[in-house]
Amino acid sequence: MGSRKDPADVLIVGGGTSAGVAAKHLAGAGFKVVCLEQGTWVDPGELPGNKPEYEVLGSKDWHPSPNVRGRREDYPVDTTDADLPVWMYNGVGGSSVLYGGIWARPLPADFRVRTLDGVADDWPIAYDELLPYYQAVEREMSVAGLAGNPAYPPGFEPPLPAAPIHRTGLLMAEGMNRLGWHWWPGTNAIPTESRGHEGKCVRYAICRMGCPEGAKSSTDVTHWRDAESLGAKVITRARVARVTLDERGRANGAVYLRDGREYFQAASMVLMAAGGIGTPRLLLMSASDRFPDGLANSSGLVGKRLMLHPYAVSVGVYDDDLENWLGPAGEHIGSMQFYETDTSRGFVRGAKWSLLPIAGPLEAAEKWTDRSSLSGEELWGEGSADRMKSFVRMLQWHVVPEDLPEETNFVALHPSLTDSDGLPAAKVRYRVSDNTNKIIDFHLARTLEAHEAAGAQKTWIAGRNFMTGHNTGTAKMGDDPATSVVDRFGRAHDVPNLYVIDASVFTTSTGVNPTATICALAKRTATYIASNARELEVAS
Amino acid sequence: MSVPNLPDELGDASRARLAALADVLIPGGSGLPSAGEADVAGPWIERVLGANPDLTGPVSHVLGIDGAPDEVLAKLRSQDREVFDGFAFAVGGAYFMNPAVRRALGYPGVAPRRMPAAEGEAEYYLDDDILGPVVERGSIYREVPA
Ligand SMILES: Cc1cc2nc3c(=O)[nH]c(=O)nc-3n(C[C@H](O)[C@H](O)[C@H](O)COP(=O)(O)OP(=O)(O)OC[C@H]3O[C@@H](n4cnc5c(N)ncnc54)[C@H](O)[C@@H]3O)c2cc1C
Ligand code: SF4
Repeated sequence: MGSRKDPADVLIVGGGTSAGVAAKHLAGAGFKVVCLEQGTWVDPGELPGNKPEYEVLGSKDWHPSPNVRGRREDYPVDTTDADLPVWMYNGVGGSSVLYGGIWARPLPADFRVRTLDGVADDWPIAYDELLPYYQAVEREMSVAGLAGNPAYPPGFEPPLPAAPIHRTGLLMAEGMNRLGWHWWPGTNAIPTESRGHEGKCVRYAICRMGCPEGAKSSTDVTHWRDAESLGAKVITRARVARVTLDERGRANGAVYLRDGREYFQAASMVLMAAGGIGTPRLLLMSASDRFPDGLANSSGLVGKRLMLHPYAVSVGVYDDDLENWLGPAGEHIGSMQFYETDTSRGFVRGAKWSLLPIAGPLEAAEKWTDRSSLSGEELWGEGSADRMKSFVRMLQWHVVPEDLPEETNFVALHPSLTDSDGLPAAKVRYRVSDNTNKIIDFHLARTLEAHEAAGAQKTWIAGRNFMTGHNTGTAKMGDDPATSVVDRFGRAHDVPNLYVIDASVFTTSTGVNPTATICALAKRTATYIASNARELEVAS
Repeated sequence: MSVPNLPDELGDASRARLAALADVLIPGGSGLPSAGEADVAGPWIERVLGANPDLTGPVSHVLGIDGAPDEVLAKLRSQDREVFDGFAFAVGGAYFMNPAVRRALGYPGVAPRRMPAAEGEAEYYLDDDILGPVVERGSIYREVPA
């Protein structure tokens, strides 16, 4: 086995979104940071968005499903027992390379669902405790938006001015005003002015295939380059096989595979940042005599309580050309009108809505061709020309429903399927609950009313159980070691120098896109480590 | 039937067959060309298969079925939706890549292009106090007990 002689102060497993935030912070605080990432850096010149084939490339090499991309670094995720596929990106920057950049903070009530709604669990931390970290990462991620959103408590002032809401947002805003419903200009981690390494958004609207302009705030752009210049070392093409322990049960490094060879990286402290699927997979792969059921799994909850935000889409076709292909994508406007629980609706919790552009004709065609589309007509065949000519006259609402944690929804190790290094693939079991389906039904019905109020000629539900890449909950944060995997700072209850800093720690999924919270939590854990370095446990 | 290297092996006959099948999906009209007129079976299908080689499977599968094009596709649609969807996606991708089609549909350029926001554009859309009613209704979040 090869060995990296220099032990790291902090080893970060996975080089994605949360990892970038922590690496930059800790390298800046003087820690010797090493990161092991199975993928590689993205070359913006290779991104498809400004090529004529862009949408077809988005169906293969740049598809958000690792199973479809099938690159060396994409570990397979078996979703035959899941109601929806699982999305992610594996490379420096992680899933933020392909995310839409919609930047959504949850609300204070999201952290208190047991107290307020009698379901799931309260988070061990409150919105107010996260507030300074939201504010810090919003600066680091160049978040653009308009202050004063009445859906939020004071203290949400995006550092950059909002992007234009465009014709799309204006038309829908007028409809929402007719109904007396909340809407607000979109808040996106997409800079409206050039900043640091980032260019200003030039509105290609293909953010979900990666930004060829280097504008969208993915952490390969916003954090990793700075982290490297501050001394952090990123070893790419390094697939971690297991986290190792010293004789006292402290994490002391990781074994990884690179080009078929096995290496060991020693470290005083280990931060797991392999994502909501990758982290539980690795903890389960790191079973040992001391932890026969998987590392840090005395609660039995590693991999359990997977939440995926099965999102739903409605569309309206309008009279005029709305230039709905103009970015950012990102949301043009958002709505929190029906976000909070109202039990008279027959369910608890709710959903955020985002009005998004439609990046091109193949995405528009999907509004008819998706198997869950209720358009009531075929796209193809007689009359298809008229339907195609309505592509640029469409608006789409995306609904992000809060799915509550259930132990029957989980990530496990696959009994036979393996990745390109022979390590067990992930097996996902996920069913959409009754409560989530009720949220989706209610919200889709309201979005259709919104389309009608905005003047749509025709409206329909274009799909449900779409994937979002919001993979959360599989290493639950909580105060009680018997019912959670990590504590309020992301430290494993069972292993005092092992932290989880990615989306796995979400106690509940909230009804908003998760990246704001992922980054805020990673920043908080990194700050905690940097501020308490002397007292914290390390490997011997 | 599976043709591993379809773009190289598409002879005139298969191209004509592909155009005929594609015309069933996209007959044109209302100012848009049919799939055949838009040369879907020419350079555009090759670009599609180059960009997503996985689509070679369904395209060659459909080309390998004899019969009237509309009947072949109707049967596939009801009996083998996976193949139908792959074929339709490839044909649609080829059609929409043709710059003349893209233009006729109202999309600018041959691919998304730089269109940065103009000075004052964000403010322009918020003129007329369109956010006024939202702000006037006041906060809508639930207070949480300390
Ligand atoms: C298409 C798409 C659109 C999205 N849109 C939005 C949006 O608009 N707004 C929003 O808030 N969120 C959005 N999301 C979700 C968001 O991107 C993710 O929730 C977030 O980026 C996850 O961050 P993370 O740090 O948990 O994991 P990731 O960023 O996924 O990082 C995990 C990293 O770990 C690496 N890794 C895993 N296993 C190993 C191993 N064994 N060895 C070495 N490395 C490993 C992976 O390669 C990856 O780089 C979207 C996601 C997708 C896919
Ligand atoms: S819309 Fe903006 S952020 Fe999105 S891909 Fe284009 S330039 Fe990048």
